[in-house]
Amino acid sequence: MFKNILIPISSEFYQKEIFQTGAFLAEKFDSTIKLIYIIEGKTLDQTEKRLDSYRTDFDRAETKKEIIRRHIHVADTIIFEDAKRLFADKNIPFNGEVIEGEFSTVIKGQLNKYKYDLILMGFEKECLLHYRLFEEVDIPIWVESGTDEKSILAVCSNLAPNQKVPEMSLRLSKTLGWDLHMVYVVDIQDAVEVDSNGKRSEKKSENALLERGQQFISEMEKKGIDVTLVKGSLEKETAKAAEDIGAGLVILGREQKKKSILGIPVKGMKRKMAETCKYSILFVN
Amino acid sequence: MEKDTEKMEEEYKVIKGKSPTLSKRNILFIAVAFLVVVLFYFLPIPEGLSNNGKMMIGILLMGGILWITEPIPLAVTGLLIIIIQPILGIMPAGDVFSSFGNQAVFFLIGAFILAGALEKHGLHKRIALKFLSFFEKNPKLFTFGIMISCAFLSFIMPEHGVAAMFLPIVISILIAMKITPRKSNFGIVSMLSIAYGCSIGSLGTLIGGARNPLTIGMLSDIGYSVSFFDWMTYSMPIVFISLPLVWLILHISFPIEIKNIASAKTEINRQVSRSGKMGRYELTVLCIVVLTIILWIFVSSPTYFSLAVIAILGSILLFFTGCITWKDVEQRVPWGIILLYGGAITLGIGMQKTGAGSWIAHRLFDVTGNNPYLVIFGLIILTVLLTNIMSNVGAVAILLPIGLAIATEVPGVSPLLASMLIALSGGLAFIFIIATPGNAIAYSSGYFSSRDLLKAGVVANIACIGVIFLVAIIYWKGVLNL
Repeated sequence: MFKNILIPISSEFYQKEIFQTGAFLAEKFDSTIKLIYIIEGKTLDQTEKRLDSYRTDFDRAETKKEIIRRHIHVADTIIFEDAKRLFADKNIPFNGEVIEGEFSTVIKGQLNKYKYDLILMGFEKECLLHYRLFEEVDIPIWVESGTDEKSILAVCSNLAPNQKVPEMSLRLSKTLGWDLHMVYVVDIQDAVEVDSNGKRSEKKSENALLERGQQFISEMEKKGIDVTLVKGSLEKETAKAAEDIGAGLVILGREQKKKSILGIPVKGMKRKMAETCKYSILFVN
Repeated sequence: MEKDTEKMEEEYKVIKGKSPTLSKRNILFIAVAFLVVVLFYFLPIPEGLSNNGKMMIGILLMGGILWITEPIPLAVTGLLIIIIQPILGIMPAGDVFSSFGNQAVFFLIGAFILAGALEKHGLHKRIALKFLSFFEKNPKLFTFGIMISCAFLSFIMPEHGVAAMFLPIVISILIAMKITPRKSNFGIVSMLSIAYGCSIGSLGTLIGGARNPLTIGMLSDIGYSVSFFDWMTYSMPIVFISLPLVWLILHISFPIEIKNIASAKTEINRQVSRSGKMGRYELTVLCIVVLTIILWIFVSSPTYFSLAVIAILGSILLFFTGCITWKDVEQRVPWGIILLYGGAITLGIGMQKTGAGSWIAHRLFDVTGNNPYLVIFGLIILTVLLTNIMSNVGAVAILLPIGLAIATEVPGVSPLLASMLIALSGGLAFIFIIATPGNAIAYSSGYFSSRDLLKAGVVANIACIGVIFLVAIIYWKGVLNL
């Protein structure tokens, strides 16, 4: 399922735990790992902009070169060394590369060049990254939190196509040997239904959405999966269910929740969840 | 050959794609800034203010918006402030451009050339390593060493240059110690010590930050002369109280987890031995810089042998001895800051001559009353708030004319006292990454988060506000009778 795993690490933050998870998944799925250290272009631009007027072009270029050189040094001496120690011990094939650019753009560039089945990454709220890739990439993204829990919560809802999540949850649960729980959330804040192409329908009544939920539960029962039906907001109900079962991993589908209130764009649900949750999340896009 | 052509074409495409364009956001900020001027043009003239004064307040707000949002370079905003005054008929063109004849401009140019020579020959790095080697005993002392070294170097060269030079030194040491970015309080404290050390050090002398010459420039326009030594007399108590205080705050906010710094010692020794023996040019630069500083402190006089004359003399000596060439000056002197300075000083002159400064001061008194202690406290708070969200030269440029006007109205607050309060508080930009280039440079290391900066910065700013307030009341007013 995850033959080729891409682990991007931003110079903005480094979460050591992703190597443990990377090694764990690579052993289970016999994967190859590509590690990229991204020297965050936004940080460099910001520093350059701050120095504008205060330092000359020559000085600014020197400073930028020096910052890049030090980041390469950090990558070689600390990050790649940590990875080598762990992956080499377990005979996991991996290679590393240092790239300068914007986090999401670099990852998308990598996906254009090579075939990957999973992006495994950490998350840090206090940094300059926008995490556009959550919305713009169509392979699964595993956001590691470093939790030790070993159960899976699969979340389906009226706001997602619900095609890949059940299948992937079952396979992961079997391969990893983790318990599987599934919930179907009827999001009454955004009362629409999303079809298999990811298109949002017109507004629907609560009853119609609940009925659709029941239908989904019956379909899953035929596959031997128990599903709990809940209603509320997708984010809150997911967080509540994850808390209740002590989830280590929450699997979310390609939700299409409304991205603006009264025409004002709001933060994407995926980013909001990654910011607040204590569990790891697998976004199945 | 074909490959080379392909590569060139690829690069050409990239360059083409990167052609500078203003984003919608920047266009909006520029539009808002101009709209403010237009709005002031049509506003009725308030009681007690002239039409030119009203327009000057509009220009002040325009400058403030452009300096905070930065849709165009800071220096270009400076130029805009210069030309908009004659365009609107507020001041004659000859008057606004004459501000560039101020001695402080030439002092700045000379100081930048001297700093350029230090950087060219790596003398600043040698001094930094020498300083650091005195603080290798334990991790806590070492972080204090970083702070002290940054502060000391910011006495003799601009703070941004010091931060840019210290960053690679400290990262190399952290890497040698295998300190993982953002996972170690020692890493956080070390990096924040660079940012805060440079900021605090820049208060110490007239060279540390461009806002300092700007202040003496504005003071000289109203007949106050402040020598290099005078400045140090006023500022050094604040520097020497703030340094250990902020260092203590960093240690309380981020208790250091490591005990051994043997590998840091090895790395410093490695870097010292790599820099080799001091060369002839390095020694000459050192002698000229020391001589210039001695002349500034002990010999300068406002009439003939002024700070600017000494700064330019030092610069010319560097040329005579072959230590620098004109190419070095072109590479290392940031002319942008000179233009920014020009804009800032004309803004001050305009505010003063049109009576806009004193009108704002009166409106402030209506709200706060004219208790001198409250005024002193208010000026410090306002400057610290403003300097955290915009360029510190811009913040000082906006507040100095208002501060000077306040000083003429409030008994117990002299123009010199008000100016020193604003100039020194203007250097305390501790909270945000964007507040000062030193913070941005240290942040680019990846060793601390914006939250870490906020956490330590808020407390450090509050503490330093207290320090400036107490020094102003007890030492400046009480002892020096400012």
